Amino acid sequence: MAAIEVRNLTKTYGDTTAVADVSFEVGAGEIFGILGPNGAGKTTTVECISGLRMPDGGEVRVLGLDPGRDREEVRQLLGVQLQESQLPAKIQVREALELYASFYREPADVGRLLTQWDLTAKAGARFGKLSGGQKQRLAVALAMVGNPRVVVLDELTTGLDPHARRVAWEMVEQVRAAGVTVLLVTHFMEEAERLCDRVAIIDAGRVVAVDTPAGLAARGPAAGQRMRFRPSVPVEDALLLALPEVRGVERHGAYLEVTGTSEVIGAVTAYLARRQIIAAELRVEQSSLDDAFIALTTHTAAAATADAAAAAAAAAAANDTAEES
Amino acid sequence: MTTATHAPRLLPEFRMTGNGFRTLVRTQARLLWREPAVVLSGIVLPIALITVFGFIPAFGKPSAALGGRTTLDVYVPTFAMLSSVLTAFTALPVTFADLRERGVLRRLAVSPVPAAGLLAAQVAVIATTAAATAASVVLIGCGGFGAALPAHPLTMLASYVLGTTALLALGLLISALAPSAGVATGIGVPTMILNFFFAGVYVPLQTLPHVLRTISGFVPYGAIVDTWSGSGAAWQHLTVLAAYTVVGALAAARVFKWE
Repeated sequence: MAAIEVRNLTKTYGDTTAVADVSFEVGAGEIFGILGPNGAGKTTTVECISGLRMPDGGEVRVLGLDPGRDREEVRQLLGVQLQESQLPAKIQVREALELYASFYREPADVGRLLTQWDLTAKAGARFGKLSGGQKQRLAVALAMVGNPRVVVLDELTTGLDPHARRVAWEMVEQVRAAGVTVLLVTHFMEEAERLCDRVAIIDAGRVVAVDTPAGLAARGPAAGQRMRFRPSVPVEDALLLALPEVRGVERHGAYLEVTGTSEVIGAVTAYLARRQIIAAELRVEQSSLDDAFIALTTHTAAAATADAAAAAAAAAAANDTAEES
Repeated sequence: MTTATHAPRLLPEFRMTGNGFRTLVRTQARLLWREPAVVLSGIVLPIALITVFGFIPAFGKPSAALGGRTTLDVYVPTFAMLSSVLTAFTALPVTFADLRERGVLRRLAVSPVPAAGLLAAQVAVIATTAAATAASVVLIGCGGFGAALPAHPLTMLASYVLGTTALLALGLLISALAPSAGVATGIGVPTMILNFFFAGVYVPLQTLPHVLRTISGFVPYGAIVDTWSGSGAAWQHLTVLAAYTVVGALAAARVFKWE
């Protein structure tokens, strides 16, 4: 059974369509990313999964349960870290964990959570006095306090400095290591690339692609690889361009920049090795998820404007389907 | 949160573990007592007022205008009720609105806590605080300064208990709806002043026109004071207070907004 299933989800607020048509499935044990620009409908989707909002159309299932109808059961099994959610300023870290632990049938041990999330030294500190990183660690600890089977992390690392962000990434991997399925909402490509098994890219309320980060990157406009190095002996462009894997060669002073297919690195280094040329200061860049993301989302943004009427019709159709089922 | 897909139900969902409720009460009590404004208005102020009044010699002398009672006699019940009124119309709604504004309730909404449990725990804490303060006021006023005990202690007690629950239920209803601390104050304070007016705090009830006196019996604080002064039938006032309690609490739990 899928940990999370979302089928043709729609949600509108007044005249604004926050989610036009979102479908995806998260397998048990996955780290699944939801990636999208601001206002794409990521948070609304997560809110429907958490049972904070009722969908206008479509279906949401968490471990086979409906977050609206089986509210109590879903809340026991689903841990959530929310954007823009806080604790009372004067509550102490340990008090907060003990309070939330008391709501669950089979809570985690509070002492162990404090140790695991490096909060033992702050157990008696008030929430209002914590740093951004400490607050996020507490938020994840609270998401884990009910021993959930699925955890939703909404923009966990937004507003964190690079060091705290890396710590947060390790936390996500720890959560998964505990056997918990993770739904990770982010707008950082690097984060999705580093953590996620699969990613859904959402734009203007629709899923534009679901794939592994590498699979998505390969869909980018400049799919392939780029290498930059300083050859120990001058090399002529034409010799490199003769290799079938090479698409382009550029010179930057003593450096060469070669672009080509995904096999270009192997082809060029083998060629240089045969000629006994050393590639000093070699740097390799993959065409990134970033490129793919920009290409995918800008495309749909234009399409969405053109098809505004069609989108409304699709939303209405989704509503009808939901009522029939 | 209610939706069209759910069958409407009169009683809100209330499933919580005993441990969950106790921990919630304990935590909310600690948080409430960490707020200086609540401690000052809900506990310190009524006790300080009765103590100061007790030390004023003239207030201990029977007055013909008060039907042979002393000023202190009259003020013991008023001050005993003060903690309930102040916390119900200020501390309770402002606390909830602040929690809502900061997203604390949003976080609680995705945990298994039911709205009714959250409200009940907060009411338990405030009602206990108010009752302890009221008991202290009566003890200081009657025990310490010799104010007369009420003639009908049971009616008095019933009106105090039902009065407090009625006030808290109204406070809860404001709590359930006010989107921000500013709005909560904007609704809570005028409601409180209206209650003070109809309880004769500003102008003696005896001087009010008949229509206003009748209305007074249907305003919570007014109904409480009427019970004490023996104006109108006690059972009628107690019924009014019980109705406020039940309707207010049910409505609050049903319309409660997590954000």
